[in-house]
Amino acid sequence: MASVLLEVEELKKYFPSGGGFLERSTGSVRAVDGISLKVYEGETLGIVGESGCGKSTLGRSILRLIEPTSGRVTFHGTDILKLRKSAMRDMRKEMQIVFQDPYASLNPRYTISQTLMEPMEIHQLYNHASRKQRVQSILERVGLDPSYASRFPHEFSGGQRQRIGIARALVLNPKLIILDEPVAALDVSVQSQVINLLEDLQADFGLTYIFVAHDLSVVKHISNRVLVMYLGKMAELASSDDLFFRPLHPYTRALLSAVPIPNPRVKRERIILSGDIPSPVNPPSGCVFHTRCPIAKDVCRQQVPEWRELRREHFVACHFAEDVDVETNSLPLGRR
Amino acid sequence: MASVLDVQSLSVEFQVNGRYLPAVTNVSLTIEQGETLGLVGESGCGKSVTSLAITRLLSKTARVNGKVLFSGPDPAQRNPVPSSGPEEVSARNVRERELLTVRDKDMQDIRGNEISMIFQEPMTSLNPVYKIGSQISETLLLHQNISPRQAFSQSLEMLKKVGISRPEQIMHQYPHQLSGGMRQRVMIAIAMACNPRLLIADEPTTALDVTIQAQILELMKGITRDFGTSLLLITHDLGVVAEMCNRVAVMYAGEIVEQGSVDEVFFNAKHPYTVGLMNAIPKFDATSKERLQPIEGNVPSIARMPKGCRFAPRCPHVMKQCVEQHPDLFEVENGHQSRCWLSVEGEA
Repeated sequence: MASVLLEVEELKKYFPSGGGFLERSTGSVRAVDGISLKVYEGETLGIVGESGCGKSTLGRSILRLIEPTSGRVTFHGTDILKLRKSAMRDMRKEMQIVFQDPYASLNPRYTISQTLMEPMEIHQLYNHASRKQRVQSILERVGLDPSYASRFPHEFSGGQRQRIGIARALVLNPKLIILDEPVAALDVSVQSQVINLLEDLQADFGLTYIFVAHDLSVVKHISNRVLVMYLGKMAELASSDDLFFRPLHPYTRALLSAVPIPNPRVKRERIILSGDIPSPVNPPSGCVFHTRCPIAKDVCRQQVPEWRELRREHFVACHFAEDVDVETNSLPLGRR
Repeated sequence: MASVLDVQSLSVEFQVNGRYLPAVTNVSLTIEQGETLGLVGESGCGKSVTSLAITRLLSKTARVNGKVLFSGPDPAQRNPVPSSGPEEVSARNVRERELLTVRDKDMQDIRGNEISMIFQEPMTSLNPVYKIGSQISETLLLHQNISPRQAFSQSLEMLKKVGISRPEQIMHQYPHQLSGGMRQRVMIAIAMACNPRLLIADEPTTALDVTIQAQILELMKGITRDFGTSLLLITHDLGVVAEMCNRVAVMYAGEIVEQGSVDEVFFNAKHPYTVGLMNAIPKFDATSKERLQPIEGNVPSIARMPKGCRFAPRCPHVMKQCVEQHPDLFEVENGHQSRCWLSVEGEA
């Protein structure tokens, strides 16, 4: 197996909540609550979950764009949470991010060339002439005409802007790119163009991706391994095929069965979860999923399930993962 | 019996800088009683504008042409008590009206009563300063001759029908106190309060998470089945179409490019755009990693629409004829139409 590029241990991010101006905060939102994972060189790790599960916060905490509350993030052997500001800035040459909204993440008053030059200027890489040349070649590489460099973001479509966002992440030659919902804002026909581009770039530059998304079909397509999050915690982690074809966590199973499949002849038994995602301010006791779980029992309300490797390289946090595994095809719906 | 909705050659143009630009061109579609028609396409293809034109909710800067025939209950003979079953709906005395020419006053009677709509963002379509109960009652009081007390109890019934737990409490709450999924249920309750013949749902689950989307789709399926309501479902998600619809119309650059039964369109797609869309989405049930086949290029701007086929600049099968001549919607098979020159030859 390839070497570990990034290791996250017991990462937590709590945001203060409640209170207000001049008032004490009354509690905390446990956005990321004890995540541990390894990212191997050259792979794509998908992170999925519903809104509010902490997947974006996790991505940003790894880069320290949001300062984590506690935990450890080791990149290439360095604990980056201990780095001082300037050292962290140097480190970010190696780790870049692409955001969801290609409209909000580009400075409207910068030309594309300025946007792409800025990272190189900050990190004092290359001289002016080679920076310019680099902008041209990167633009070409992401499928944009190099002559576009003098244009402004508003002159581009959503798909083109996302290409620019990718170019900006690439320009420093990073090892790791965190892709935070990179195709969620794009139309299907353009979405596939960008996905293919990401795959090509990964192969060409030996990039490692953390791909954060809510669209399970896209995650399945692009990821080698996938982490499922629920309410700030890890529910399941496995290779893409294992996770999608032999899920062990009842939440993963429900999530998969909820995806509408574009095939009118496929009739599936759908597991409809009742209720909404609980508030992360006041997460349920025991297993955080028990309030919606179709197979929850008393133990689930009381005991936090252990994170265990049930099959090789297939981790799950569920007391009854073995039962789920046995009943691969149908879950009893009536039971709560 | 006539179709519930029969849209004939609907065109919408918007005035931009003194020029009229085509947003929707020559759209014709029908929806039968109890049927669900999916209207799919990418952003800017005109699917939402089509629905707003049908309900006459477009601004005055829009120029709308064509016919929108809607057969609803004859206002003169309407039963004051709302009926609740499909058989009663069909038993009502039905009259056909052309919605683009009825008086504003009559249109107001139709909207929210015989045709109602659900939009993508439930937070923006609910009034933040009114309680849920009064927002459902409002529709009932407006369209039915009932007392506020009756309206309140009917509203409560509606909340129960859309599967809201603790409906008595929710009646007294404000929209911001509810989750996204609950708000969408409330929107459905408002839309269904007067038992409309036609429900138009514009991306009703796009803002929701998958597990909540599954709940709402299931609810809409149940409601249209139980009430015999026809549904025009606007979406960009082919998965939602496959799950919910009987027939589907695919729109591209303001036109319907393919239309037919869901089975026909998914398994026997004729238009290169439809085929392209199907190939562009990652297959959820695929075991091997196949490379996606994107549709190259971008959607044309409505200010610079190609003269011939609007998909020609992106089409892998483009021919000389495509660039020069605009194709009609050709019948491929019974009820299956495609706006492509290749479909003509296929038939010949």
